[in-house]
Amino acid sequence: MQSFVCAGRLVLGGILLAASLAGARAATIDESVERYRAYIIGNVDEALAGARGLRERIAAKDLAGARRAWIEARVGWERAEVFTGGFVSDLDDKIDGWPNATTGFHAVEAALFVRGTTDGLAPEADKLVLHLTDLDLKVHQMRLSGQGMLDGAARLTYEIGESKADGGESRLSGTSLDDMVNNLAGLEQAYSVIFAAPLATADATLARQAQAQIERLSTLLTVGDLRRVDPDRVRAASEDLVVTLQAAAAALGLRRPTLEMLVQ
Amino acid sequence: MRRGRQRRGVLPAALVAAALLAALPASRAGAFPVGGRDTVLPAGSELDEDALDRPREVFRAEAMGGAKSYLVRLGDMAFSAPSLLGGMARRAGIACNACHVNGAGNPRLYIPGLSTRPGTFDTTGGVFNPPADNGVLDALTPPSLRGARLLAPYGHDGRFASLRDFVRNVIVDEFAGPEPSPAILDGLVAYIQDIDFLPNPRLAPGGALAAGASASERRGEKLFRKPFPRRPELSCAACHLPSAAFVDHRQHDVGSGGEFKTPTLLNADVNAPYFHDGRYDSYAQVVAHFDRVFALGLAPRERQDLVAYLTAIGDGVRPYERDGVEPRLKEIGEFASLLATAIPAGDREVVALTVATVGGELRELTEAFPDRKDATVVDGRTERATARAALKERVLDLRRIDAAVAAGHLDEAAADYAAWRKLMASTVPEALRAAERWSLFNPDLHDAHYGALRLLSQQADKAAR
Ligand code: HEC
Ligand code: HEC
Repeated sequence: MQSFVCAGRLVLGGILLAASLAGARAATIDESVERYRAYIIGNVDEALAGARGLRERIAAKDLAGARRAWIEARVGWERAEVFTGGFVSDLDDKIDGWPNATTGFHAVEAALFVRGTTDGLAPEADKLVLHLTDLDLKVHQMRLSGQGMLDGAARLTYEIGESKADGGESRLSGTSLDDMVNNLAGLEQAYSVIFAAPLATADATLARQAQAQIERLSTLLTVGDLRRVDPDRVRAASEDLVVTLQAAAAALGLRRPTLEMLVQ
Repeated sequence: MRRGRQRRGVLPAALVAAALLAALPASRAGAFPVGGRDTVLPAGSELDEDALDRPREVFRAEAMGGAKSYLVRLGDMAFSAPSLLGGMARRAGIACNACHVNGAGNPRLYIPGLSTRPGTFDTTGGVFNPPADNGVLDALTPPSLRGARLLAPYGHDGRFASLRDFVRNVIVDEFAGPEPSPAILDGLVAYIQDIDFLPNPRLAPGGALAAGASASERRGEKLFRKPFPRRPELSCAACHLPSAAFVDHRQHDVGSGGEFKTPTLLNADVNAPYFHDGRYDSYAQVVAHFDRVFALGLAPRERQDLVAYLTAIGDGVRPYERDGVEPRLKEIGEFASLLATAIPAGDREVVALTVATVGGELRELTEAFPDRKDATVVDGRTERATARAALKERVLDLRRIDAAVAAGHLDEAAADYAAWRKLMASTVPEALRAAERWSLFNPDLHDAHYGALRLLSQQADKAAR
């Protein structure tokens, strides 16, 4: 699990650099969102590939392999949350519902990591693949907007600040910290590809502030063990960043992001 | 009212339902579900943070018709601030209030390795502060702090004459917290000294039974004051002085394994388990203990009379109150009111602690309105989302206020705070009331939600093994 995290950080460093160079050409936000689509597609593809692998390992009755595939599928999924949280929350429920959904990642998690079996999981894995395929389609076709991405980014940032002292979302597999780290990686992606350059032009101070706050969150989450996360500091850092993103909205000519999806 | 936090995770509904029936004895799930190998507290820990009935808190200042002073409100807020403590308590989100719930005790508190039975906790157990570990599992009950100003010395063994010294010791030595500022310490002491006993109309001034007591209670009162046959210098009342809140401010060996201070018997009906280590669940067991240790030779009816008497003097009006939107908003409003003083004074420490604590409470309140991923609640989606959004925005407002004060922009912070109060008095309560039916304050949804989570943590523990 650690290796995903590290690899993610290296890749992101590159993206940050590429993004600020691209930003110098002053792309409009909606053009940048189009560019960002490629990243979401990559994330969702990764989740889908993981889910297909999961289905295959389940068919082969390979428990260890299925567990690995489950964890791999989560990485792309958690990174795509900026998008799912901003645009497709109905699918989000089916894929990532809690605490008592009948389908999705966590239903499979319970079987793999608690009951320690792949038996009877085939239909569940099929459904997961189906929903992720649906999501993949949507990612390709859906009209994306800077506003939606900023909403998704703000919501996800706020969520990262929620206490995981009780074991967090993926407590059965013990990968809750990875969830948070991958959420942040997705956020970093979205911010750097879509907003960093236009914000630097519109308000350089805010842009520097956002960058520093993302890095601070990242430092606070790079602790290797959920139990070592300092919830107060993570919470404060997450809220500081949301406040900055809200201020950035005005500078970018967008509406202030709302923290819940209110119309559906 | 420090309570649950964001709790996520999923299990198939059928599994949940089956296990709920099998695993939950009471209708209230009543647990702080922690589970898996990733939790800060050991698996199986219970803080009872989601209980729907909360001990009622009565303040001396209010009982006398006044308002709580700034200092008392500061202490009240700090009492609910996990960031006051250090190390594991802070990371687990535990504040004073987790063990002394609203200034009372916590009979369900159980932390594996630190509790010998529910309602006890080893403050020298080393988990919260390794250097304080005395190598022995000597778990004690967190005493109710009602009337604590009348109950010196402090600690079950009465080792601290000063409440201030005791509180400092709790923060720094037992929970590895940073040295608290004198103002915060003064606030905590003022708050604890302001927590009153619940009124008890069955008692007359001076601690005698009021008119209307039953014959059995009257006989019990007589026995309580009667010299012990083998030790005529002693009687129950010789140690538990009725005119002095039923204490004598001294330590005694009453055959419970050492010298302990005489505890109050006021409001004690809700203070079980009894004795320093919580070994007794009922007055009947306590009376049997004294009968045995002091060879009182009590007849069965005499024992019953003593129990009836203890129950009468240990009573208190409305010991619990229902949790819900109103009490939460009231507490949040009171804590936040510190900002009205702390912002103009540029008191960064108090502003930061208030923002952290109130923000935490607002975040918890948000989780009482399940988001759309929670399948236990189906209806009221829009109402719930509106309530959640309103609360989240108020958390961010506070964060802006904190930043403004830290940057020295006090006027801006004061204006933001005034706007915050206005919203907290109008838009926010409206949104929360509109969604309350679909919140975890609804007992059915509460049980379904926490039942699922409790099961989830059990599952997670299994997975971690
Ligand atoms: C994890 C549980 C826990 C927490 C948290 C906790 N306490 Fe206690 N408290 C106890 C226990 C157990 C005792 C009995 C200890 C003893 O006798 O030495 C106690 C005793 C006390 C007493 C003595 C009461 C008396 O009548 O003798 C006071 C006062 C007190 N605590 C205040 C606080 C304050 C203030 C905080 C927060 C700074 C706090 N406690 C946090 C468990 C807790
Ligand atoms: C010598 C002094 C002394 C006498 C006499 C005495 N008590 Fe106590 N009582 C104590 C002490 C000390 C404790 C606490 C023991 C412990 O914590 O282990 C206590 C505890 C109790 C408690 C439990 C309260 C709680 O919250 O834990 C009750 C009830 C009680 N006594 C009732 C009585 C009755 C009834 C009598 C007479 C039959 C009596 N006591 C006689 C000193 C005394």
